Amino acid sequence: MAVQAQRQATAAPARPRPKRVREEEVLVWPDLVFIEFISAVLFTITFVILSVFINAPLLNRANLDVTPNPSKAPWYFLNLQELLLHMDKAWAGVLIPTIALGFFAAIPFIDRSRHMQGLWFGTKYSVRITVITIIYATVVSFGLVTLDAGDTRLTPLVDFKTEMLTRWIPSCPEAAEDVGWPCLRDEAGAKHLGIVSTKDFSKRLEFEVLGVNWPEDLDNIAWPFNDSIGDWDLGFIGLSNIHGWGGEHLNIPAAMAEQVIPLTLTIVVFPGLIIYTMFRLGWVRTRRDVMIVMYTGVIFGYLALTLIGSFFRGEGQDLIAPWNIKVDEG
Amino acid sequence: MSATEEPGKPRNLSERIQLLQDRIYDRLFHNYIWQSIFRSGYPNTPRNQMLVVATNVFLHLHPTRLQRTHVRVTYTYCLGGLTFFMFIVLTITGVLLMFYYVPSVDRAYQDIAALETNVKFGLLMRNMHRWTAHAMVILVFLHMMRVFYTGAYKPPREFNWVVGVVLLVLTLVLSFTGYLLPWDQLALWAVTVGHGIGGSSPYLGDEVQTVIFGGFEIGQPALIRFYTLHVIALPLLAAIMMAVHFWRIRRDGGMARPL
Repeated sequence: MAVQAQRQATAAPARPRPKRVREEEVLVWPDLVFIEFISAVLFTITFVILSVFINAPLLNRANLDVTPNPSKAPWYFLNLQELLLHMDKAWAGVLIPTIALGFFAAIPFIDRSRHMQGLWFGTKYSVRITVITIIYATVVSFGLVTLDAGDTRLTPLVDFKTEMLTRWIPSCPEAAEDVGWPCLRDEAGAKHLGIVSTKDFSKRLEFEVLGVNWPEDLDNIAWPFNDSIGDWDLGFIGLSNIHGWGGEHLNIPAAMAEQVIPLTLTIVVFPGLIIYTMFRLGWVRTRRDVMIVMYTGVIFGYLALTLIGSFFRGEGQDLIAPWNIKVDEG
Repeated sequence: MSATEEPGKPRNLSERIQLLQDRIYDRLFHNYIWQSIFRSGYPNTPRNQMLVVATNVFLHLHPTRLQRTHVRVTYTYCLGGLTFFMFIVLTITGVLLMFYYVPSVDRAYQDIAALETNVKFGLLMRNMHRWTAHAMVILVFLHMMRVFYTGAYKPPREFNWVVGVVLLVLTLVLSFTGYLLPWDQLALWAVTVGHGIGGSSPYLGDEVQTVIFGGFEIGQPALIRFYTLHVIALPLLAAIMMAVHFWRIRRDGGMARPL
């Protein structure tokens, strides 16, 4: 081999063949095994010390009659619990996590180029778009949660609540059943508030377009075939009575407030906005870049919601500062 | 190999000690039993260093050689390996906890309380189990982020990434099923939140609550389900998926590197 290579080299001295650079290889024993061993030892020591000084929590014996306030899921599910406050529970608890995991699994089948693998942040602008997306996801998550917290006073110093932004919408006259212009129906005798949370779009906001009144004309629309599709009995495979559409009705205002608005914002509008902006700026150029924005957005949105759920939710799941949280053990 | 050279007579003390050391070493490592267990010689030559990895069932998860970049700690931060290590620690501490724990609503809480006060190192074992479980969840996320930001999911490693996503889910579910077992207020109400989330599944809500939580309230059926899932079904499944995960790293050409 060496002789051959030498001959070729002497035959064509003007065009030396580019030598394939092979990176230096090291032996797994001892180079890698040593690192693994040391990291295992360090972690063992760390966790022994941690476990000596910090005890795992053990509260009172479980009692179904005594509900702590707030009751919280384990921290890694607090993000889902947080979502539950803002949208339909099937979406928050089941469908969004399923979609997120499906998206994770689909990443390599969307971004199929082989380039830039095995390098931290391979593409030209990937560090920049990652950092921007982290900031964006965090700000948007905290921002949306704050907006949806409506009548919570946000700072101890300034009396600002996000419902004040929409207080200009007039209060519905108590006597009138149907109103033309948009108005917000207040509880009898209560002070006029703006839109407190997205749920108010279906509960308190009222208006009329072309003779159709929102929400009362739209909240009980029969599904097509509503009578013919009942509950499905799949008892033969062990699932009895899967609940179909039998007898259920479409509630457009509620679907708008608890599904369409929150989902459009979180899945379409905000991700689309950042991807489109960075695409126009020329920073997002490949599918890899798009995947970076989406993955970073999901992970850091998840992190932000976890932090909110862990540190900013007090009694009754109210949004409050971490130092004001008191747990009522019941 | 076992034939030792007949040395000349030792002339001084240091030579005597040397001779003694050689004899002890010979007796310990060049005997029939030792060599029936370890086929390769002492790993002080490249050949033996490769053999020791290739002939050991635990070490052969590794290749025998690696690129220098991949050995650098700042490439992987050992995150995948540490996640696996947490799993091992959890298995060991978990087995010890099982000796003292009966999954019954009447006994579970007292068992944990007794474990903390009456059992030597019981509290330490429980603490270790708890904190390493949290660490495993964090590490598995960090490992996923490492793989993502180094582009290591790209072809031909697509499937192994999917296996990784399954392992992420298994880790979360393992942690969640373990959460109920102490049967204290924290456990009960955290799982009640999960029970509510499961019940909100479209069309299948009641079925999810019945199959996974054993009813519309957290009680004995939920406890025994979570216990069984936590101590045998899910760890077994996770171990199988890990075997696939590690195997595929080797099959797909080792760790990702720039083309």
